[in-house]
Amino acid sequence: MRLNVILYRVMAYVTGVVLIVLCVLAIMQAFTNDGGLVNTVGTVHGGLYIIYLLVAFPLSRRLRLSPAPTVALLLAGTVPVMTFIVERRISHRYIDPALAALPEPPPAAAAS
Amino acid sequence: MSGTQAFRRWRFLFTPRWLGWHFLVIASVIGMLWLGDWQLRRAESGNALSWAYTFEWPLFAIFAVFFWIKTIRDEAHPEEEAGPAPEVSLPAGARQAPGGAGLADGEPTGPEDDELAAYNAYLARLSKEVKGHGRWHGLR
Repeated sequence: MRLNVILYRVMAYVTGVVLIVLCVLAIMQAFTNDGGLVNTVGTVHGGLYIIYLLVAFPLSRRLRLSPAPTVALLLAGTVPVMTFIVERRISHRYIDPALAALPEPPPAAAAS
Repeated sequence: MSGTQAFRRWRFLFTPRWLGWHFLVIASVIGMLWLGDWQLRRAESGNALSWAYTFEWPLFAIFAVFFWIKTIRDEAHPEEEAGPAPEVSLPAGARQAPGGAGLADGEPTGPEDDELAAYNAYLARLSKEVKGHGRWHGLR
């Protein structure tokens, strides 16, 4: 659960940053007509999104999300800036309560 | 008997909300397969980049189907993921706390134990009945 949350947050930010880079490049491409970099970053984002899905879906099952938040969570990786917004909302509403409910204070106390 | 149980278990799939989700999933899967076919035609006509997307779109379609099946199964079998904790620990814990003190005093029998046992049975029945309720509603 904790590992899944960490992986999800990492993938959300990496995918989100790459997607914003992709958008900036795509806008620049309109002026420079140099499409090579856009294609490369686009393919990279496609691959990252596959990993994002493979991380985000198990998390949605662990959090027992209903279909609407699940779809929002999975589609966030395709909409610019949306990963950050969804990550915040999912964290506030689902991840933080779920982590707080985990019965694992002893290892956390020993670690700190 | 088992037929009606199965019907009850799967009945939620036919509510308007879920029918809408089914429709959305089917439409998106068809859309993704169509996009994959489109990319394949582009790739065959010389767009090398399209080869990546030719495989990506069907993969996303498979993901959608797989995720959908998993979601439905989770919803239909809430008890599988719930684990043994809720049903077992509540009555056992309720019995142990006062029972441990009571046994040390040397009065294991009496009307209080019967009352306690009845109350624990009542709690167990309640927790069994309520189990799975609010799994989706409470977390929305």
